[in-house]
Amino acid sequence: MESQTAVGKVVSQAYKYGFVTDIETEKIPKGINEETIHLISAKKEEPEFLLNFRLKAFNQWKKMQEPNWANLGYPEINYQDIIYYAAPTEKNKKSSLEEVDPKLLETFDKLGIPLSEQKRLSNVAVDAVFDSVSIATTYKEKLAEHGVIFCSISEAIKEYPDLVEKYIGSVVPVSDNFFAALNSAVFSDGSFVFIPKGINCPMDLSSYFRINSGDIGQFERTLIIAEEASSVSYLEGCTAPMFDTNTLHAAVVELVALDEASIKYSTVQNWYSGNEQGIGGIYNFVTKRGQCRGKKSKISWSQVETGSAITWKYPSCILQGEESIGEFYSVALTNNRQKADTGTKMIHVGANTRSTIVSKGISAGHSSNSYRGLVQMGPKAYGARNFSQCDSMLIGDQAAANTYPYIRSQQPQAKIEHEASTCRISEDQLFYLQSRGIGFEEAVSMMVSGFCRDVFNQLPMEFAAEADKLMALKLEGSVG
Amino acid sequence: MIKKDAHLILEITDLHASVEDQPILQGVNLQIRAGEIHAVMGRNGSGKSTLSKIIAGHPAYTVTSGEVKFQGKDILNMEPEDRARAGVFLGFQYPVEIPGVSNLEFLRVATNSRRVEMDEEELDTFAFEDLVNEKLKLVQMDPIFLERSVNEGFSGGEKKRNEILQMALLQPIVSILDETDSGLDIDALRVIAAGVNQLNTPYSATLLITHYQRLLNEVIPDFVHVMSSGKILRTGGKELALELEEYGYDCVEKPSNNKEVN
Amino acid sequence: MADYRQWLNSLPEPNGVLKNLQTQGRASLANLGMPTNTLEEWRLTDLNCLQKILNLPLYKPNRDYLDEEKQKEWAQRPKNGFRLVIDSQTNPLEDINLPNGIRPLTSAEVEKLLVQRSNQYSSSRNWQVAINNATATNFLALKIEGQNLPPLELIMQSDSGAFIPTRIALIVEDKTKLNLLQVALGAANSAQSHLVEIYLGKGAELNHGLIAFGIEEANMIANLFVEQKTSSHYSFTSVQHGWSLSRLESLIVQTNGHANTTLKGLQVSSKKQQIATHSRVKFEGPQGCLEQLQKSAATDNSHCIFNGSIQVPQLAQKTNAAQLSRNLLMSNRARIDTKPELEIIADDVRCTHGATISQLQEEEVFYMRSRGITTEQATSLLLKGYCKEILDNLPVESHRWEILDKLLKSVKR
Repeated sequence: MESQTAVGKVVSQAYKYGFVTDIETEKIPKGINEETIHLISAKKEEPEFLLNFRLKAFNQWKKMQEPNWANLGYPEINYQDIIYYAAPTEKNKKSSLEEVDPKLLETFDKLGIPLSEQKRLSNVAVDAVFDSVSIATTYKEKLAEHGVIFCSISEAIKEYPDLVEKYIGSVVPVSDNFFAALNSAVFSDGSFVFIPKGINCPMDLSSYFRINSGDIGQFERTLIIAEEASSVSYLEGCTAPMFDTNTLHAAVVELVALDEASIKYSTVQNWYSGNEQGIGGIYNFVTKRGQCRGKKSKISWSQVETGSAITWKYPSCILQGEESIGEFYSVALTNNRQKADTGTKMIHVGANTRSTIVSKGISAGHSSNSYRGLVQMGPKAYGARNFSQCDSMLIGDQAAANTYPYIRSQQPQAKIEHEASTCRISEDQLFYLQSRGIGFEEAVSMMVSGFCRDVFNQLPMEFAAEADKLMALKLEGSVG
Repeated sequence: MIKKDAHLILEITDLHASVEDQPILQGVNLQIRAGEIHAVMGRNGSGKSTLSKIIAGHPAYTVTSGEVKFQGKDILNMEPEDRARAGVFLGFQYPVEIPGVSNLEFLRVATNSRRVEMDEEELDTFAFEDLVNEKLKLVQMDPIFLERSVNEGFSGGEKKRNEILQMALLQPIVSILDETDSGLDIDALRVIAAGVNQLNTPYSATLLITHYQRLLNEVIPDFVHVMSSGKILRTGGKELALELEEYGYDCVEKPSNNKEVN
Repeated sequence: MADYRQWLNSLPEPNGVLKNLQTQGRASLANLGMPTNTLEEWRLTDLNCLQKILNLPLYKPNRDYLDEEKQKEWAQRPKNGFRLVIDSQTNPLEDINLPNGIRPLTSAEVEKLLVQRSNQYSSSRNWQVAINNATATNFLALKIEGQNLPPLELIMQSDSGAFIPTRIALIVEDKTKLNLLQVALGAANSAQSHLVEIYLGKGAELNHGLIAFGIEEANMIANLFVEQKTSSHYSFTSVQHGWSLSRLESLIVQTNGHANTTLKGLQVSSKKQQIATHSRVKFEGPQGCLEQLQKSAATDNSHCIFNGSIQVPQLAQKTNAAQLSRNLLMSNRARIDTKPELEIIADDVRCTHGATISQLQEEEVFYMRSRGITTEQATSLLLKGYCKEILDNLPVESHRWEILDKLLKSVKR
C-alpha cells in the first residue's frame, strides 16, 4: 500500500455477500419510455392512480438534469441501458412461504436472513426484496392482530389503495430531484408499513434488499405511516453480488409521523462497493425523507454506510409539528475508491422543534467521505434547537474527509450549534493499547468502534453488533 | 450568629419547581434570619443548585407552587435584576465568561444599579475605581483582572474571587453562594472564606450551598440542612456537617434516620 | 444580460499599466456572464445590488469628491503614521515622500508581478476579480522592508454616483514588520471594487485591518489575496458595516506551510443590508496554523453570510486549523447563513470548525441581570462586548477612527 506510516496500510477483506443466485429471472427489455412505465404498471396489476403517478413522474424526469453539484465525477449513466424490472419467474402466485422457490430462501439464508417458519428471527418481522420484487414477508398475521400493516408496497397498492394514494409522494414529491423522479416512474417494489393510532408495534420490522442481476437498476420504494401516538422501529439491510459493472440503486423512502408518533429507521448499507481499483460497485442515489407532521412526533434516522461505489444520501426530517424531534445518527466508512456524500437536512418549520445530528465519517484508502448537511430554522421555528456534531477520522494520507454544513436561521429565538473536527488514530493511543497486550488490528478496531460509539448506541441491538463486526471486517488490514 | 428575634430575611415555603417539565424541588421549606449563616448540603442532583437559581430568578426554572419571600415580600414574580437590586446575591458555581465585556465596566454598571436602589449616589469612573481597588484587597485579587473581559480566561479560583468581589461591591442582604468552594485549593479557599466572613453582618445573611465539609471549617454555619430528592430532609447545627463527613449522606437519606424538619 | 453586454462595451479602451489585465478581465466577464444564484458561491448574493453596481458610471479622474465634509469622517492623520488615499486613476503617491523602507515597484518589477500573478489569481473563474481587472486602471504596488516602519494607512473613499475600482499590491520583504490599516468608506449611491494582493516574505509579520463602512445605497465588492512564506505571521481583522451590499472574498495561501494566519471578522448588518464574507485558506505545506473567528450580527431585514473554506491537501501534514463562526440573529425578519467547510486529505492534522446562530446567550444575560443590570443594559453591554472581541484585534492605530464607536453605539437589539 502507498502509506508507509504505521497507521495506514491495507483495507478490505473479500466481500462475502458477492455470490450470485442462479435463478430463472423474468426481465423486461432494457431502456425507459412511456411504454416501459405502462408495462411495469401492467405487470404489477396496478390501479389507475398509480399509473398516472408514474407517468407524471416520468414526464417530470425527462425535463430534469442529472445533478452534478457534489462534484463526484462518475462516468455518465446510460439510462437506456438499464433494465427497469426483473423478477424471479413464478408460475403461480405464491400463497405461502412454502411455495417460494427454495433457491430464494437459500439465498436469504446465506445472507443471514432466514425466512422459513422454523428459523426466522424471533423478534423481527422481515420483508425480503429480491431484485424488483418482494418475495416474502414474515409475521404478517401476528402483526395484523395489532392492526399493523406490514407488506410489500405492491401488495399495499392492491390491498390498501386509499392509504397508498393518500400518502405516496406526499413527503417526496415526484419532481423533488432527478433520482426521486426516476424512482417514482419505475419503482418496482419495497415495503409498506402502517401503524394505527395508539399502537406500539410489537416487534421490529425489517426489509432486506438484495440486488441479484447485474444489469438491472433497483428502484425500491418504502412508505411508513405512523398514526397518532403510535411507534415503530424499522431496519433496512442491503447487499448485492460483485459485478464489474456499476449498478444503479435509486430508492425513495417516505416517512410520515402524526401527532406524538415515533418512527425509528435504521439502515446498515453494505452494497458491493467495487474492487480496490474502483471497478464495479453500486451507485447508491437515495432520497429518504421523513415528515414530522404531528405535534410532539419524532423521526430518528440511524445509518451505517459501508458499501456502494458512490453514495448520495441525505435522510432528512421536516419538522412541521410543534415540539417535534428529528435525529440523524450516521457512520459512513469509505475505503479503496469509494465516494460517499452523505448527511441530512433538518428543516425546522414548527415552534420548539428539536434536532440532533451526529455524523462520524471514516475515510481510508483513496476514498472520499463528505458530510453535507442543511440545518434550517424557518421564521416560525420559535424556540427551536439544533445541535450537530460531525467528526471525521482519516486513515492513511490518501483519503479525503470533507465537511460542508449549510446553516441558516430566520428565527432569533432559535439556536443552532454545529461542531466538526478531524482526527486520526494517534500512535500514542495505539501504543497505549498495545502496551496493555492488545493486538494491533484489534486496537485499531477498538479505536474506530469507540469513535463511532455515539452512533452505534442508537442502533437496535441486533444491528449494533452487526455494525461493529462489519466495520472491523471492512477495515481489516487497512491499518498497520 | 443566632438571634431568635432577628427579622426574617428569606422565607421559603413548600417550594416546588421544575425544569423542562422535570420536577426538581418537591416542597422546600427554609427560614433565614438576619445575622445567620446557613449551609445546604446534599449530593449532586439533590436540587440544591436549583434552589439557589430559583431564588435568583433563573428563567429556565418554573416554580409550580410555593413561595419565596425576601424581607416579607414575595419575589417570585420579580425580574432577576430587581431581585439583585433589592439585595439578593447569587455567587455562581460556574461564573459565566463574557468575552469582550470589560470586567470593570460590568462591575461599575452593576454596582451603580444597586446603589440607586439603596439611595446612594452613583459613582463615576474615578470614584468607582477607588472603591473597587479597596474591595480588591478583601479577595486579594490582582487589579489586572479588572482590565480583562468578564471571567474570560480566569482560573477557577480567580472566577470565584471575582464573585466575592461582586458580593463586596453590591452589599447584598442575602448572599447565596453556590458551590463557591468547588475547584479551589486550600489557600484560595481561605481567602474566599475570609472574604465571606468579613462581609457577613448582623443585618445580612448567608446561604452556603456545598457538598463538602471543608468550606464549613472556614465559614462556620449556624444551621446545616441536608437536601435530597428536592426536599430538606434534616436540619441541625454545624455538627451535622461533621456527621455527614463521617457517615456519608446515606445515614440521613435512609428513612429510619429521618427526623421531621421543623 | 443585454445590459451587461452594453456595460462591457461601454468601458473605455484598455490603457495604462494594467492594459493587459483589463483586456483579460473583460474577456473573462464576457465569458462568465452575470453571476446567478444557481452558482454555489453566488447562491445567496443579492444580485439586484450587483446589477446596480454596473449601472454606475466608471469614476472619472478628479479628486473633487474628497471635500472637507467627507474628510471630517476621517480620523486624524496618524502621528508617526503614513496615509495614502487610493482611487482608480489619480496617483496616490503624488506629492508624497515615502518613508524609508517603502518604495514603489519599478515598472520592470510591476511587469514581472503582473505576469506571475495573472495565472495564480486569475479572473477567468472569479467574477469579482474579473470586474476589478476589467476596470482598474491605476496600480499601487509597493515594496516594503524593515522592522521599524510607520503604520501604513490606505483610505478608499467612494464618490456618490460613481463606481471606483482600486488595485493594490504589497510585497512585504523577509522579516519585515508592518501595521496596515485599510479604510473603505461608502458614499450614497456608489460602488467600490477593491483588489489587494499581499506577498509576505519569510518571517514577515503583517497586522492588517480593514474597516469597511458604507451607508445606504453604497456597495462594495472586495478581494484579498495573500501569499505567505514560511515563518510569516499574517493577521487580518475585517469590520464590515452599513453597506447595501458588501461582499468580501479572501484567499490566503501558505505556500510552504510553517506559517501563522489569524483571521478575525465582524459583520454587522441592519435595514435591508447584505454583508458577506467568503474566505478560503489553503495550506500548501506542512505545519501551518490558522485561527479564524468570524462574527456577524443581523438586525431588521438584513442578511449576513459567511462561507469559510479550509483546504488541507496531502502535503499539509501537521496543520492546525480552527475556525469558528458565531452569529447573532436579532430580528425575526433578518437572516443568517453560514457554511464552514473543511476539505482534508492529510491525516495527521488537527482541524476543527464550529458554527452557532442564536440570540444573545441566555446565561450571559442572566448573569448580568443577577447583578442588577437591566435586560436592555445587559444586551447593549453584551453586544458591545461581542463586537469588541473582534475590534480589539485591529492594529492599534485603528482606534483613532471614531466610526468604530459609532458602530458600537449603533448595534442594538
